[in-house]
Amino acid sequence: MAEAEDLDQWFYRPPKTDAQRLGIVVGGSLSKGLDVKLDPRSVVIEGLAVGRYVVIHGARTGRRFFGLITDIVLDNTNPLIEKTPPDTSDPFMAEVYAGTSTFGRLHVSPMLVLEEGAKEPKPVKTVPEHFSVVYTATEEDVNQVFGQEDATHFKIGEPLDMEGIPVSLDLKKFVERSSGVFGKSGTGKTFLTRMLLAGIIQQDVAVNLVFDMHNEYGWKSQGEGGYEVKGLRQLFPTGRVAVVTLDTESSRRRGSKVDFEVEIGYEQIEPEDVDMLRDLLGLTDVQANALYFLRRRLGRDWIAKLLAEDEIAEEIESIVDQGSLHPGTLGAIQRKLGIFRRFAFLKPGLETNVVQRILDHLSKGISVVIEFGRYGNSLEAYILVANFLTRRIHEEYVKRKEAALGRTADEPRPLVITIEEAHKFLDPLISRQTVFGTIARELRKYNVTLLIVDQRPSGIDEEVMSQIGTRVTCLLDNEADIRAVFSGVSGAGALREVLARLDTRQQALILGHAVPMPVVVKTRDYQSLYAALAQGDGKAPEEVLKRNKAILRGEGEFEGFD
Amino acid sequence: MSTEPVMHQHIGRVLNASTTRFTAGCRVPLSALPTFGALARVNAQGGRCQVYGMIYDIYVDDDPLVRQLASLPEPDEEIIQDQLRNRHIPVEISLLVVGHRLEGRILHSLPPQPPLSLDKVYLCDEAELVEFTSAFDYFRLVLAADQVPREELLAAHLRLAAGARGAEGRDFRVEAGRELARLLGGNLVLLDGVLRRIRP
Repeated sequence: MAEAEDLDQWFYRPPKTDAQRLGIVVGGSLSKGLDVKLDPRSVVIEGLAVGRYVVIHGARTGRRFFGLITDIVLDNTNPLIEKTPPDTSDPFMAEVYAGTSTFGRLHVSPMLVLEEGAKEPKPVKTVPEHFSVVYTATEEDVNQVFGQEDATHFKIGEPLDMEGIPVSLDLKKFVERSSGVFGKSGTGKTFLTRMLLAGIIQQDVAVNLVFDMHNEYGWKSQGEGGYEVKGLRQLFPTGRVAVVTLDTESSRRRGSKVDFEVEIGYEQIEPEDVDMLRDLLGLTDVQANALYFLRRRLGRDWIAKLLAEDEIAEEIESIVDQGSLHPGTLGAIQRKLGIFRRFAFLKPGLETNVVQRILDHLSKGISVVIEFGRYGNSLEAYILVANFLTRRIHEEYVKRKEAALGRTADEPRPLVITIEEAHKFLDPLISRQTVFGTIARELRKYNVTLLIVDQRPSGIDEEVMSQIGTRVTCLLDNEADIRAVFSGVSGAGALREVLARLDTRQQALILGHAVPMPVVVKTRDYQSLYAALAQGDGKAPEEVLKRNKAILRGEGEFEGFD
Repeated sequence: MSTEPVMHQHIGRVLNASTTRFTAGCRVPLSALPTFGALARVNAQGGRCQVYGMIYDIYVDDDPLVRQLASLPEPDEEIIQDQLRNRHIPVEISLLVVGHRLEGRILHSLPPQPPLSLDKVYLCDEAELVEFTSAFDYFRLVLAADQVPREELLAAHLRLAAGARGAEGRDFRVEAGRELARLLGGNLVLLDGVLRRIRP
């Protein structure tokens, strides 16, 4: 026994593991990644895939290096074999040549290192030595890296080719900084976003404000397969989600259960809110600047006065008479603001303060989903409302946070604002002026972060993109979009191959703040999400059964089954 | 087995030797001559070490009597048979040294000393052939040898060694082939030549 231990000191004995041995490290570098020669007999190259996890056991230090397969190569010992391939129709010849003269090679990007006996993996600063053995990652490895599902870790899916092994996202970190969900249209962005939002609500790490352009998050929506998918309000029937709408009729038609209607008074609109629409309305610089002047001169009901068709306000006449504003400019502004008349949610003389109502919900920890109904097709309405509400809510958060710093109030609940078509808000030309650009840049300073959902990340200001903490990316194939997603990520080159080869459905690459290393996941399906949420609500099954029975008998108020 | 008596009797004696190859004069009747590629063993260092050689050439020399007999129009069959059995000069067998056994262990490397003249040369039996060929390090000695038909020699030798393994012969051929593929990565023509000759 003692002799055996002595021998162990001199000869490396690979640790016992049920992982499959893939091969050995034969070269590479920290910056460019490692080359791994595949074991010819045991590994079938066609059974591997980019994006898969591997673990490299450092031979002498006992360290374990976690890496990601970023490329798979066919290699040979003699290039002449490509010119004169052997006769492999003979099984004997094929068996002899496979893995000897010709063999497979993997390119592995090392990401994390786990010291012997340590629990927390650290970013990799060196490489394993020559001929270190490479294994597939096991459930234990994945758990060690991503942490098991717990109070702040939310299962988002399974690593590629590792069925049954959960990958968890650290939601606390996810909401700490602004995050993004990117991907071509039809690759599952909405599904992923809904799942992330459900996770955030379930784990209670933040409260959400969702600008639901296409009415997909609140009550229900149609899945890609044509089947009906429950929205957040149905997933959390206990009142943790409120759905509000800009278009009651559309919500009623869709059978959506709505908490209240969003109405904005003309008097509440400030020139800054309209300025955001500068490009969409085609306002020139002169016209945009005139807005501020008009607000100053016309007072709170400046919009109502500008839009009034029957009687022209005295102030307007005097402005024109005094020559303070060119009549052409004024006319253009009035014409362009005319679009507001088509927005039924904008009303003159309204006293209710929708911002306060939403803020009250948020302070109580109730997430708010704003359905746009038919206005979802109007980018002007979407940007106006999103900007209008966000600017005021952000201001309030800044105040509350400052009060908390001055120890006169409690810290405001972390808030995640979800916006779709984010490049319209975060375009390089306007992102510096809009509140969304500010929120993305100031990180978690005021407990407000963004969840950006977009299919054209290249349209988003680079400075904002570099501040995005966690990027969840479905398939992208436009080169500029891929580049944008990886901006500010070190060692991104190798990940490009992975991203460009994701499946069109149910696969995503997650990288950034909330995951210790980039991970390609097969996202979990609805069934598993529903099941997890039903369990996670903390109610005993008997209680749930009793309640559901009561609903079926018509005794309880129906808010959806648990 | 018919080869049994040959196992324990020597097939000849060393004529000349170096550490890398040696020649033996064979006294056995031609019918019992060892074959090309076979493995033979000879003692060296006074019996402390056994040197293994692989037969790469078998040379049947003539003598004046053979010349005379060959010139006869129709020599007597009895005389020819006598000549075959009782040759004046031995059949010369050239062997390439491919390893040695020291203190019971087989090493696929050159021996410390060559065998001496007239040391007895024994043909290895199947068990010893299987034992010697359980590793392939001796391939390098064969591949490094000059003026030896390496391709043919390896192929003949591997066919014998595979035959000695019976049903496991195919696996042996594949393993040997893979080792050759590693060693001959730079010489695909030689590799292909050997592999074609040893395929089952």
